[in-house]
Amino acid sequence: MAALVEMKQITKVYPNGVVANKGVDFSVEQGEIHALVGENGAGKSTLMKILYGLEAPTHGEIWLRGRRVEIPNPHRAIELGIGMVHQNFMLVPSFTIAENIVLGSEPRKGRFIDRAQAIAVTEELSKTYGLQVDPTARIEATPVGMRQRVEILKTLYRGADLLILDEPTAVLTPQETDELFMAIRTLVNQGKTVIFITHKLVEVKEISDRVTVMRHGEVTGRVATRDVTEADIARMMVGRAVFLQIDKPPVQRGRVVAEVRNLGYVAETGRPVLRNVNFSVHAGEILGVAGVEGNGQTELVEVMTGLRPATTGEILVDGKPVQRQSPRRIRLSGVAHIPEDRLTNGVALDATIAENLVVDRYNRPPFTQRGVLSPQVIRKHAETLMQQFDIRAAGPDALMRSLSGGNMQKVIVAREFSAEPVLLIAAQPTRGVDIGATEFVHTQLVTKRNEGKAVLLVSADLAEVMSLADRIAVMYKGEIVAILDNGPELTEEEIGLYMLGVRRQEVVTKAA
Amino acid sequence: MNMKGMTKFVEPVRIIAVVLIALAIGFVITALVSKEPVQAYTALLTGPLPRLSFENGFEIKNINRFGNWLEESTTLILLGLAVSIVFRARQFSLGAEGQMLLGALMTAVIALKLSLPFPAHMLLALAAAMIIGFLWGLIPGLLKAYLSVDEIVSTLMLNVIALQLFDLLLFNWLRDPAAGFVGTVPFPTSAVLPLLIPGTRVSFMTILMLIAVVVVWFLMARTPFGFELKMLGANRKFAEYGGINTKRVIALSMAVSGILAGLAGAHLSMGLLKRLTINLSPGLGFEGIVVALLARNDPRWVLLAGLFYGYLRTGAQIMERSSDVTREVVLIIQAIIILLITAERLFPFVQQWVQLRRSREEVVVEAG
Repeated sequence: MAALVEMKQITKVYPNGVVANKGVDFSVEQGEIHALVGENGAGKSTLMKILYGLEAPTHGEIWLRGRRVEIPNPHRAIELGIGMVHQNFMLVPSFTIAENIVLGSEPRKGRFIDRAQAIAVTEELSKTYGLQVDPTARIEATPVGMRQRVEILKTLYRGADLLILDEPTAVLTPQETDELFMAIRTLVNQGKTVIFITHKLVEVKEISDRVTVMRHGEVTGRVATRDVTEADIARMMVGRAVFLQIDKPPVQRGRVVAEVRNLGYVAETGRPVLRNVNFSVHAGEILGVAGVEGNGQTELVEVMTGLRPATTGEILVDGKPVQRQSPRRIRLSGVAHIPEDRLTNGVALDATIAENLVVDRYNRPPFTQRGVLSPQVIRKHAETLMQQFDIRAAGPDALMRSLSGGNMQKVIVAREFSAEPVLLIAAQPTRGVDIGATEFVHTQLVTKRNEGKAVLLVSADLAEVMSLADRIAVMYKGEIVAILDNGPELTEEEIGLYMLGVRRQEVVTKAA
Repeated sequence: MNMKGMTKFVEPVRIIAVVLIALAIGFVITALVSKEPVQAYTALLTGPLPRLSFENGFEIKNINRFGNWLEESTTLILLGLAVSIVFRARQFSLGAEGQMLLGALMTAVIALKLSLPFPAHMLLALAAAMIIGFLWGLIPGLLKAYLSVDEIVSTLMLNVIALQLFDLLLFNWLRDPAAGFVGTVPFPTSAVLPLLIPGTRVSFMTILMLIAVVVVWFLMARTPFGFELKMLGANRKFAEYGGINTKRVIALSMAVSGILAGLAGAHLSMGLLKRLTINLSPGLGFEGIVVALLARNDPRWVLLAGLFYGYLRTGAQIMERSSDVTREVVLIIQAIIILLITAERLFPFVQQWVQLRRSREEVVVEAG
């Protein structure tokens, strides 16, 4: 097989001095599925942006089908048959699927767009590549999995031979992921080539022919997938062995710490987002909340932490009602919260690490005494936590902005864990952080559980929920449709059926 | 060196460079309009300094010019402190002008309508100015916090209302009909700020101003409220998440800011004019914004920035009097300085705004 694309000695230095790629050699052969893996910040997105013409390399050459090419912009990339499906879909919500697919190079009839032709084209593409879509459905009414297929079809419509998929499974359910993989195989059978960016090693093993591993802007491995194990790839990614399996002692369920009764939340738009939610979290257990994103998990967490007011129902922490109370009151009742959207809620980028670490406790002794705030105590506190939680930064006075995603998350974890909560609510605690920090967060969560704290873990990463939780509550359209005991006999597929609303428990036990 | 250390080092150098560039441009402009540009520019740059003279024994000349500088700076620093408090919390309140007017108005009411012995009368007038400033700031604060009324709009409207109230009361109630202009009779001495430097109008307010700098610094750096201000300014959602009552902080930031603007008004009436007149000092309230911008909302720098800006403004008046260059030229130089400084401040703002939008879009699509 000949190399379809060769990127030679690619170096990318950003104006702020960050070196994203250092002399990277990368090649993809015609007709293969090539996985590009690495931790966040390893430089894989930058490399692909260079290939797609979104970024200009500082040094290096790109060769396509044996010819040297310049790709100054995505327009040129598309001309050359390179298509990219971004992690964040770029579709017009109010347009139909067919309209979105032909957008920008519409078939015309006179001066008008030929809608019938657009639909016919869409159907044909859909059939050829086994990517099922409904051409006349509006994007806003279609599920995430279908939107992704639309994105893929869009690039195919523009004549892409090489498809770059940027973390395509991040938003999919297991079933949807299976379907995507089938579609990718069909594409390759039809002569297309696929670059698959991911950090999920299971997927690398399942789908790819070859894998390129990046770390700190350099290539650390280039292997045929069948020759290596997941652990091998992980080692290339982080430079050391990682524990992929989490060891935890059997659950020792204690008293009920948190109880949610008939909780309902109606959004400002009048849309009911949470409906009759019932569950309880016991001391010494991790209750996982699984579900496709956008089924009310975000709102559940925000209602429980006081960031949104509950419309109906009760939330009890240690028997005391806390619904519709201020975030401070709820924190004082012993609830800590690792927020889903780290940059919006979890940190202040323009404040120092020390300040970020006391946002929930600055007004209490020893930080404030007789009304006077002590910067020294706040600094000392930060030094202690930075050491304890292995936060890598210049010092307590470094701005939050200067930290990597993983270290930012460690700051949040350090603050919330050191608050000594009875109930810890962790929402997407490892989203966008690298393997090292993920492992750290997982270990910390299990430690808290073993210490007898109640942990509520909300995550869109089903593998994460299944490896950490003792019980799993599944959310679908604002309701808890099942609460399942986690064990070896529980499969991803079974949870997936609940996540998609195909199945639901007859009686979701009231406060099980 | 970490980022903060870098900023600490680079900032003063950058500001000085900006000022020098602006002064150089100013000189070019002066050279274009004046027949004796060097002399005129010397008046601008050295005018406010007193001169030591030994002609008839030791003598300090031009003490009144030096006084003008300190008087001007005292007002500017108070206004700069007021603005730096709201800007620190990222509340773009422009209400200092109205708060200052009402502060001055209240001192006149107390001074002319009550008769009390000296320290009590003065202190009561000062307190009245501070209280009205607080309340006039609290209004837009509450509107923003609880009804999401944009503070830029509300404070500008409240400035209009304040100005009309000022004129209304002055015309119909406080004015001295015998005077040849629209103004009150002079305040009784019991309600005038004691003089500090003879031959000038530098008063007790300059000491109060220095105290205010320390108090505001302490408030910002050493109290929970100061921490709350900073966190609100850095990221409101984060502050809320951490348990800070952001509505209370928003309302209080504007109200506390008003106290200082009220004091600035008291300085005009009780210290400089010793009466109330119409057209008290139009636009002065906005000069506090310049001082706060120059000082990056740091009270310690507000002191220096206020002295610098006051010097420039006093020098301008002297240049106007003693050369063929009009004051407009100096206004141009001032404007250039502000332009250079804010342009550089604008850049990080734009960056942040773009980032914010980008992260919001991501959230929307992911949730979609």
